[in-house]
Amino acid sequence: MPRKFFFRSILLTMLLMVAAVSCLGQSTTGTVSMSATVSKFVEINSGGAVTLTGNSGGGVTTDGVANSPLAVSINLGELGPSNINSFVTASVPLKLRSNAAYVLSMTATVTSSGTSSSRIGAADVGFGLGTVSRTGLGVNSGADTNATSGDPTLAANGSVNGTTGRYEFTAVRSNLSAFSSATTALSGPIIMNAVPRSNANGLTVPAMFAVKPQFFENGTTTVSVTFTVTAP
Amino acid sequence: MRLRNFTFSLLVILFCLAFARTTSAQALDISSGGQPTITGAVGGSVTGSSDVTTDLVVTINFGEVSPLNTNSIVKVIVPFALRSNQPYQVSVSMSGLNNANAQALQASDVGFGIQNARLLGGAGKICTQSTHIIRSPFNNDPALTATVGSNGRVSYQSSLGNLSGSTIVLSGPELSKNNSSKRQQSDGWVFDAVFTLTPQFFASGVSSATLIFSISAGPNVPC
Repeated sequence: MPRKFFFRSILLTMLLMVAAVSCLGQSTTGTVSMSATVSKFVEINSGGAVTLTGNSGGGVTTDGVANSPLAVSINLGELGPSNINSFVTASVPLKLRSNAAYVLSMTATVTSSGTSSSRIGAADVGFGLGTVSRTGLGVNSGADTNATSGDPTLAANGSVNGTTGRYEFTAVRSNLSAFSSATTALSGPIIMNAVPRSNANGLTVPAMFAVKPQFFENGTTTVSVTFTVTAP
Repeated sequence: MRLRNFTFSLLVILFCLAFARTTSAQALDISSGGQPTITGAVGGSVTGSSDVTTDLVVTINFGEVSPLNTNSIVKVIVPFALRSNQPYQVSVSMSGLNNANAQALQASDVGFGIQNARLLGGAGKICTQSTHIIRSPFNNDPALTATVGSNGRVSYQSSLGNLSGSTIVLSGPELSKNNSSKRQQSDGWVFDAVFTLTPQFFASGVSSATLIFSISAGPNVPC
């Protein structure tokens, strides 16, 4: 065997051994890398039972259950002059939770079997969000912006039209005609601190609806309202 | 010709020195202890090797940990194997997780414990005069010690927040019967590093951290 070939074979063997030892070699350190993602999260649920007042007939068909999906159905009853109460009002508690700034928007449709201008229309259904409450363990303090005028039955939010005699909700976003398309009703900063979802607290606010019994055209009217909360 | 002989001799000497150094440095070793597992994750994963002769290199993705993940907890178990022919200690250091927003994910939100000491096959050494000690407060399964604190946030008996610099988490007597210079399938002990994260209303964002597990000579305890 040529000496040159012998040396090269020895060298190759040594390199292979070194490589083998390296491969099976030991280490005094190990690495664990970790990552986690927190996406923006918002939700709206029922804040509790509906309060219906001033009604003649009617009632709450499907009531709200706190912390359950919001799916409320209300029969406002008689809205003609035979109802002698000043207003029929329904207060629907909402509960919002988020880990980011939020926007609560609303869309409303009002359909009536009447055909004249005296039928109940979107403008005849007063609306407003009441007092916003951020209380309870794990709820972040913050200032919310109520884009409505609050309780629609307040004297400042409506009056009888001096020309037509019809009662009108005149304040800013005080009736459902302002919500024919998705319109912001409430917005604010992050609602929840870093607490588990099992924490049932959150931001609560009553959604208040009101109708002034009047000489509306007879018929039936259906009001459908959809609340949507987003984290822009 | 003389030069070739000299070169050859020099290479042999260097090889022997290198081999001797390698051998002497192999008294302490940390490697994978088996396949890591993850439960309760949404969009998460864990990668690592099931081969106990490979280095400990694990990547954990806890996935979504906002309330979008409706599971009660995300739990990851990372087995790691230790080999030594002398008393040892294991320390852990962490980098990352420096969120300035207190409502974002913090080190204290990631539970961390060590559990389930067991032999790695028949060549693991059983010492009768000393035991393997999981240092306080890490001797727990954080999935079982999770509690809601007075501020409503989930806390653990031990978490990554308990790591300060290089923190000793484990120590004990020698771990291996043999004195092999190579990793064997059955010549040490395996422990489980348990990591947990409870989905919460954390401020949104992506967080990451890197942990370095190190084994070194430990307190001189008898076997």
